[in-house]
Amino acid sequence: MRTAIYWLSRIWRSDALSAFGLASLLLLIFLGIFGPLLPLGDPTQIAAGPRLGPPTPQHPFGTDELGRSFLPRVVQGIRATFLLSAIAVLISAMIGTFLGMAAGYFGRAVDIMVARGADILFAFPALLVGLLVAAVLGPGQVSAIAVIAIATLPLLIRVVRSVTLSVAGRGFVTAAEVAGASAGRILLLHILPNVMGAVMVQLTYALSIGMIIESALSFLGLGVQPPDASLGSLLRQGSAYLTIAPWMAMSSGAVLSLAIMSVNLVGDAVRDALEPLKGRDLT
Amino acid sequence: MRLLLYLLPRVAAALITLLGVSVLVFLALRMIPGGYADILLGPFVTPEAREAISQRYGLDQPMIVQYWRWLVSLLQGDFGISMVTQKPVIHEFIRRAPVTLELAFIALGLALAVGLPLGVASGIRRGGRKGLDAARVVGAIGASVPDFVVGSVLIFIFSVWSLWFRVGGYVPFTDDPVGNLQTMLLPGLTLSLFGIALVLRTTRDAVLRVMTEGYITAAVARGETPRAIIRLHILRNAAIPVVTVVTTYFGFLLGGAVVVEVLFSIPGFGLFTFNGLLNRDYAIVQAGVLLAAGVFVAINMTADFLYAVIDPRVGS
Repeated sequence: MRTAIYWLSRIWRSDALSAFGLASLLLLIFLGIFGPLLPLGDPTQIAAGPRLGPPTPQHPFGTDELGRSFLPRVVQGIRATFLLSAIAVLISAMIGTFLGMAAGYFGRAVDIMVARGADILFAFPALLVGLLVAAVLGPGQVSAIAVIAIATLPLLIRVVRSVTLSVAGRGFVTAAEVAGASAGRILLLHILPNVMGAVMVQLTYALSIGMIIESALSFLGLGVQPPDASLGSLLRQGSAYLTIAPWMAMSSGAVLSLAIMSVNLVGDAVRDALEPLKGRDLT
Repeated sequence: MRLLLYLLPRVAAALITLLGVSVLVFLALRMIPGGYADILLGPFVTPEAREAISQRYGLDQPMIVQYWRWLVSLLQGDFGISMVTQKPVIHEFIRRAPVTLELAFIALGLALAVGLPLGVASGIRRGGRKGLDAARVVGAIGASVPDFVVGSVLIFIFSVWSLWFRVGGYVPFTDDPVGNLQTMLLPGLTLSLFGIALVLRTTRDAVLRVMTEGYITAAVARGETPRAIIRLHILRNAAIPVVTVVTTYFGFLLGGAVVVEVLFSIPGFGLFTFNGLLNRDYAIVQAGVLLAAGVFVAINMTADFLYAVIDPRVGS
């Protein structure tokens, strides 16, 4: 808890752009968690206002083709977009950390297999994998999670592997080996704590990639299915009425972009703080 | 010789990667519920008809035999038959190649033309990385706003006020060059925004890192002009990470930009593969994924070759 507060205040004080990112991220997470409790309106109530009505004080984001108020729908979408991407990225982080540590520590055949496997996964463009997974599993949330995990796994494997390689040669690991510690104990007690920082930084980037993939799949109709809503599926809904009711596409698009940007900005700030001299790559 | 020794293991690795890609795609296609017989014959299939189809397509053979036959036919350029048109899928992809290629080049060109100079300028001007500078804002926006959001905004603007650009209605460049550009520039611009951010941020970081090197200090101490330092020392040394991300970006572009092609109705690889999925024409999806991954691996091998050209130390 104290480390969390330390990090939040550190990002907050680092510069204006990072502070902006942190503030909007916290706001969006708050909306995602407590949205259903706030007096914003019922996302499922049909004919709460006129059909395709423009923004009014009562319906700040306008209404959709069934007269549902769009603001509560967007809040519902924030929740789905964050939740799906977070679940997928956590799965990917667990598998990626395990495989990356194994590859970096055991070397030889394990390393070759894991590194090749990461290359193979990295060669697939995410959305084309999305089409393939939609063909196999059918469109839906499970497919979206699978696609995000496949797309972000190689990124995590590569980072964890390279950090493990540098840690594995250090004195305290050799000392543990000499003392007769098992491989599992060394990985868990000595290497894992040292790769966590790199995993955290990579996680924020993976989260923003996951949100982009999730919303793109939902935009294509392959992710979240109605009546559920994610920011991508709301944009899909809005783009059908783009010229007569632009507020639907514009509001969901703006909130989605803000969400991804705030995750990226916080990620940048964390990386700058952890690795002050190292640059940041997008891949 | 140096080049050969450097490239050979990389070519081998690329071939292994391609093999792995083909195994995964093969397995994925076998996992599609129902299988070929159900898709081909519909829900009212008799066991005899199912048996006949299985025999005809060799589906009664062991998995490994099926995979081997499939791989051999792939290597002979046979990517399967479209169930809708009953024609070889690969011809349809070749027909659409110029469209995806043009779109990829427009996006790449814009990304380099905007991203490189801005990245170099902001990297040289700023020693530190704190504070609010334009390059960071552009980078953050470009990396964060998804292409379909940008595309939707552009479509809205250009369909409400009919400015010079057109939305949809693709015409081949050879038929009508102006009309072609009218339809291709907007999707190209949409795709390039992420590329601009990518090139800008990578260039900036690479330049920042080079600026801390001793040889820059030495060059300044010798009294070389800033122009000469940038040209002789900074650009060449900062090039490798930029080449890496640019080739990765280009590789993904060539695989087909599904979202942008669907959004702007551009008849390239992405839209074709997407429609293949909607029509349950899985031979198209399979070929689309295989081609994209293959192109990506090939482009990355080219990048390995470029490293060795740019930096004589590589591979020695």
